Amino acid sequence: MSLSARRRPAVDEETKRPRWRGVVSPGMAVAIPVLVFLVAVHVYSNELLLVDMAIYIALAQGINIIYGFTGYLPFGYFGFFGVGAYVAGYGIVHLGLSGPLAALLGGLGGVVVGAVMLPLFRLKGAYFALTTLAVGEALYAIVSNPSLTSVTNGPYGLNLAAVYSSGWSFGMAVGLAAISILAVVLIKNSRYGMTLRAIRDDPYSASMAGINVARDRFYAWLIAAAIAGVGGAIYGWAISVFYPQDVFDVTVSVFAIVFALFGGIGTIWGPTLGAAVLYAVYNVVGVSNPQYFQLIYGLVIVLLVLFAPRGLAGIARYLHEHRPFVRSST
Amino acid sequence: MAAAASMVLAACGSSSSSTTSSTSSAPSDITIGTAYSGSGSYATSSLPELDGLKFWITQENKKGGVYVGAYKKRIPVKLVAYNDLSSASTAATLYNQLITQDKVNILVADFGSVLTAPAVSLAEAHKMVLFDQTGTGIPFFTPSNKYIVLCDLPESDIWPDPLAQFLIAKNVKRVAIIYATNDFDQSQAITLKSKLEAGGITPVVYEGVPTSTTSYTTILQSIEAQHPDAILELGYQPNDTAFLQNVESAGLHPKMTFTVFPGQLLSLFQSQVGTAGLKYTYTYGTNLYVNYPNVTEGLTTSAFKTQFAAAYPGQLNALSLMGYNTGLVVEGALKNAKSLSQSAIRAGAEALSGKMTTVDGKFVLNSEGAQTGELLPVAQLFPSSAGVTLHAVYPASQATASAVYPAP
Repeated sequence: MSLSARRRPAVDEETKRPRWRGVVSPGMAVAIPVLVFLVAVHVYSNELLLVDMAIYIALAQGINIIYGFTGYLPFGYFGFFGVGAYVAGYGIVHLGLSGPLAALLGGLGGVVVGAVMLPLFRLKGAYFALTTLAVGEALYAIVSNPSLTSVTNGPYGLNLAAVYSSGWSFGMAVGLAAISILAVVLIKNSRYGMTLRAIRDDPYSASMAGINVARDRFYAWLIAAAIAGVGGAIYGWAISVFYPQDVFDVTVSVFAIVFALFGGIGTIWGPTLGAAVLYAVYNVVGVSNPQYFQLIYGLVIVLLVLFAPRGLAGIARYLHEHRPFVRSST
Repeated sequence: MAAAASMVLAACGSSSSSTTSSTSSAPSDITIGTAYSGSGSYATSSLPELDGLKFWITQENKKGGVYVGAYKKRIPVKLVAYNDLSSASTAATLYNQLITQDKVNILVADFGSVLTAPAVSLAEAHKMVLFDQTGTGIPFFTPSNKYIVLCDLPESDIWPDPLAQFLIAKNVKRVAIIYATNDFDQSQAITLKSKLEAGGITPVVYEGVPTSTTSYTTILQSIEAQHPDAILELGYQPNDTAFLQNVESAGLHPKMTFTVFPGQLLSLFQSQVGTAGLKYTYTYGTNLYVNYPNVTEGLTTSAFKTQFAAAYPGQLNALSLMGYNTGLVVEGALKNAKSLSQSAIRAGAEALSGKMTTVDGKFVLNSEGAQTGELLPVAQLFPSSAGVTLHAVYPASQATASAVYPAP
């Protein structure tokens, strides 16, 4: 057999799409947001808004990993965010770490807390969601407890102004967004992603098929926790002076979940688009005209739930499948 | 593409016209940038402060603008105010917006420590003076940060000095202290406890509760078991309201009840708690209830009350006075500054220390930018035809009435 005969066909036999699209398209999902951020920071000097947007993209992708791929919705996702901010703060204040190293330590903090929360997977649905919320609140109460002032500085908050660096925190935030999108790309296009989807659809059947449900779901949980931990660490570093209630804030969970749902969970582009669009709307409309913002935000969510439960990605897919002159695959 | 479009939208959407300072020619206006809470848990405190600041701006613009010493002339004042919805995260991006996009000349913080915190390091990093209105949090004031000026209140850990002296003077032996576990209240609680212990009083109850606490019923039951003479509750306005409502509904009659915010938001407390729940309650007496007939900047107390009430009917309270006082500090700093550079403005504010008296009392700044001049007297709410009336009762130098202790 000649060498050319053994070469893989240029078209995927299942999807009938050119194979190059399987590489280029996911690559664009990472590259385009990064490029947009790198351009935006040169035309718009409010870096902090871009940092927040990048962090919310990462958080929405974190929700995508745990909820979109396994079906477990963590209302208490903000707990990892807060722990990340505080672990990083501890690293900076007590260990003398630099901001980037402290951010990685914050991610580790998120992973450790995620591991401790493993028994919660005995619960399902609303019970799981509400219990994680309770854990998030408990973490807030622990961190702000006056008895732990020597460790966490209790209710007095942290001042990290000594290591403040808008450029570095911006770079780290964009990097985190890119890594979280890349993680989703890799998961979605891998056997592991198929495993997670099987768990989401029917964990019992997946288990019967030989999938280690507990282990594979746990890995997804830790990845999501790490993303939120690093996100919280970068956020704390970027604003430098914060109180426990600023980082253990349920709004962080609400935003991340709404952004992910708005964009479309279980997809690569959805959470990125959802976070970018809604966070932009929040800043443009919400700040200048809060009375309209609440009306607009509420209407968007109601319409989305009623008419587009799969979010923007679902709308895009529908339009793609119903475009004029579509070629039949049969 | 949608992501790209939305980022550009975010980039362009909330920008507004900007004004930069110039060392060669006078700017057409002085822009003051601030964040305020139009809704959420801090709105009741933030909005009156904003009204006070707006009132000062209106007053100055009627005269042709604020006097800028560097140009020896008055320049109109323009306000750029963004709504942070009581969110520290949103406040952070707005402060950055004011500094980097709007390029305001003067940066003024929102109400309280939580919403001031995000501005502290941003202002320092951009070498921009932060006129901190009421963010009295201890972490803000460090020897290395030369870009913060606390305008309207003393640092929170020195607030309870007169209160501790009052309790010692009254020989109140059994004191219960409940405090919300946040920077503002806990720092007061720590100071109060140490001052009382130094005076031979060991609190029979010393307990922190989450700032989100909305029911004190169970805590009050356990406190009652200790038979305290005085119950001191240190919280934010929602805490104080819930506490006073619970004290009344539980039928408790301690000899002395103290909370923080009735002195700042008396009309709000009258509507929420009622006269019966407020009478003979102690609180911090703010300068709204002290008469300053001789001031070096701005209006006298009586003139301020009259003119502000005419401009904002029914809105006069201690926080609106503080917002006005922020304007006066800015005015003094601009008058003294040799240029419109931020370091010159900071030096201009420092030059006011010990020399300026306003409706908010004497302005004294320490080396870290913290205010130490305006000690808050102990005040008590007395029944009157208007419901309750606040009078300072301690120290004697500021007292306008004698304390009724124990409460009838």
